[in-house]
Amino acid sequence: MVPASEQEPGGGRDGPFTGLKVVELGEGTAAPYAAKLLGDFGAEVVKVEPPAGDPARRRGPFPGDRPDHERSGLFLYLNTNKRGLTLDPACVAARAVLDRLLGWADVFVTNVTPEQLRRYDVAPLTLRAAHPRLVVVTITPFGLHGPYAAWRGDELTTYAAGGLAYSTPGMPDAAEDLEREPPLHPACFVAETITGTVAATASALALFGRFQTDDGCHVDVSQQAAVAAIQQRDVTVASYTGARYTRLLDPRVIGRLPNFYLPCKDGYVAIAAPADAHWTRLVEAMGSPRWALDEKFDTGAARIANWQELRFRLIEWTMQNTGDEIYRIAESLRMPLFPFYSLRRMAESEHVRTRGTFVTCERDGVPFRMPGQPIRMSRSPGGLRRVAPRLGEHTWEILHDWLGYEADAIGRLRASGAA
Amino acid sequence: MSALPLHGVRVLDLGQFIAMPFCTQWLAWAGADVIIVESRKHLTGRASPPWPPGLEGDPDATGYTNLLNGSKKSCAIDLSAPAGRELVRRLARSCDVMVDNFSTGVLEKLGLGYDDITRYRPDIIMLSSGAFGREGPLKDAMGFHSAVNLFSGLADVTGYPGGHGRILGGVTPDPLGGVYCVFAIVAALHHRRRTGEGQYIDVAMYELMLPLFPEAIIDWMLNGREPTRIGNRDREKAPHGIYPCRAADTWIAISIGGDDEWRQFCGVARHPEWATDPRFADVLARHASADALDAAVESWTRRHAVRTAVTRLQRRGIAAAPVLRTDELLADPQLRALGVVVENDHPKGGRRLQLGIPWRMDSLDLRYRRAPLLGEHTRDVLTELAGVTEEEYRTLAAGGVLS
Repeated sequence: MVPASEQEPGGGRDGPFTGLKVVELGEGTAAPYAAKLLGDFGAEVVKVEPPAGDPARRRGPFPGDRPDHERSGLFLYLNTNKRGLTLDPACVAARAVLDRLLGWADVFVTNVTPEQLRRYDVAPLTLRAAHPRLVVVTITPFGLHGPYAAWRGDELTTYAAGGLAYSTPGMPDAAEDLEREPPLHPACFVAETITGTVAATASALALFGRFQTDDGCHVDVSQQAAVAAIQQRDVTVASYTGARYTRLLDPRVIGRLPNFYLPCKDGYVAIAAPADAHWTRLVEAMGSPRWALDEKFDTGAARIANWQELRFRLIEWTMQNTGDEIYRIAESLRMPLFPFYSLRRMAESEHVRTRGTFVTCERDGVPFRMPGQPIRMSRSPGGLRRVAPRLGEHTWEILHDWLGYEADAIGRLRASGAA
Repeated sequence: MSALPLHGVRVLDLGQFIAMPFCTQWLAWAGADVIIVESRKHLTGRASPPWPPGLEGDPDATGYTNLLNGSKKSCAIDLSAPAGRELVRRLARSCDVMVDNFSTGVLEKLGLGYDDITRYRPDIIMLSSGAFGREGPLKDAMGFHSAVNLFSGLADVTGYPGGHGRILGGVTPDPLGGVYCVFAIVAALHHRRRTGEGQYIDVAMYELMLPLFPEAIIDWMLNGREPTRIGNRDREKAPHGIYPCRAADTWIAISIGGDDEWRQFCGVARHPEWATDPRFADVLARHASADALDAAVESWTRRHAVRTAVTRLQRRGIAAAPVLRTDELLADPQLRALGVVVENDHPKGGRRLQLGIPWRMDSLDLRYRRAPLLGEHTRDVLTELAGVTEEEYRTLAAGGVLS
């Protein structure tokens, strides 16, 4: 009943998940990004959207700042390689359609709230009983059980409860004043994107496990836990020494020095010389100034003990150079020193151009440049096969051609508001 | 006892620092047989803090390594010795996956590049991870997480209003890169199962930072607008911020979009007049009066302990959460209830808590074991997997190749 995955003209190549079928009931970033990763690497993805559409359609950025739910940059990015089916899962008739669709799928990924999972009759236990081989991936702010399971949560609050807010700004940058420089959230969907990556990874693992068990799986992904799980370095320090990372400039908590983020003539640079060998090369790069040869900076322990003076001395040097001059020195001495790139400079760099880091999706003749594959697989690269769906673009195709609904049944679904 | 997702998959791990060991630890927890190749002569993570008191400098005691290598095996091989490199090639023959994050070209110089290894194991899945990747003009640039952060442009959307760009905390590119590497490897295992083919995977860590901020990237590409830093505010919700609570350096995150939630907040704060204040009437008004709005919210949060404030707001259905420090994560009742806080009981490092895989599965298992001592499994691995005889083993050991 389902057509073979067809390649569109100029489309992406075979991906590792070619042949795999995914249904996404998602909004915003987390579940849509998980499904996008599977889709960009070959899976056939059906995105189920309520009649009002995914809120990402209203977020932009829009060409010329003119809001248009078919031209939201964020939506077009997060929903590449998907077909769109409009269903109102609050309607009983729509739930029957969704159930039929899940009979077709290998993976169901969703980030609707725990109440919605129950209300839409897609609670994990229900789905596991109805579709035993289905991998059911639920993404919720805090997971489906435990003391915070019923808490409301979003990007900001899960980012905070996952520990990443408190440690931002992080090393080698840092705050100067704990009160006036509060824990910081970047103006983007960090927690949701991390969680989407985690959920795609969990899906791939559960599917691989299915080869052994021939059984589906409920994967209960917590957005808080996804953020927390990558706090490797600071959790290690806490676990071993009880020391806390604070946002203050106190790099002793982290270990080897120098590892600073310092102002230079035209911006900022990261100066990392953690090992003795790096330090020797850095001293040479600075022209072996007398201060650097002092025993105060001779050993790793000495550099930590005198880190404040070390930092000021290094600033005297960095302020005499531009970021690019420092980078050229780093290049010749094989040192991890690097200047700050603005988004613009990164996007226009030769490296990004050569690697083909960005791809273009065209909508209504408008080219949207956006990040392409985040990993490069030589034999199964995947890539862009189709632009994100218009709202309800494939409703007929999926209901009629794939699921076998007759025209009058589809008419009834439409009339009742279910589709 | 249910199955481990990666049961039967063997991984040869030449990784160092955080990104690669983080990846292979998740693989090992998910059931892969992960063999670390390391040497006392070239220590990286094992020479790094933190150490338990009294064991400073002990390569078997450092938390840096012990909390990144759970459930793996350690095989001590000196790669600077030709015989050591030959052992790696022989080991690769019985491995499904090989990973590294050396600088570009190092593996090839050692005769352990993809083209060398495929002669021994044609369907190997090989993954290399680095700040800038293995292709492009910056492929030879050295960089840790700081360079990835600075090059990615993410700092352009991270910072206090009017200030310069700031760095996302927690060395995020390293462990996040590790997660993408797990995704890539499992994806490649799916591909191999379907087609029989192995492949080479090139991971440039800056590229996996870009999906974190597509709005700013697309806005620049589409409208030529360069990002401005807006602190903790959001383009849609208001209030949306991190506010101080009663004790010093304690904070609450509060995110309110709808007007109903705002009225609920005013009720909890016992400031009904805020609900009718025209400056805060709807989300557009609250955006226009964001400074006054944040001052109002803060005047309430400052009077309360974090947990009290969170509980009161959550009871009314408002998205609020404590800003947890990383040390507080290990004690967090929710993470504990999910089984995400796991124990790593190590003979040298001691009994330590850490954070494991951030999801639960009802039909598949995970496996949390302690990290190995340096070289703990050298003999077993070489005799069982590389076809090394007892006699050959003694010769190699005597020649210093297995240190």
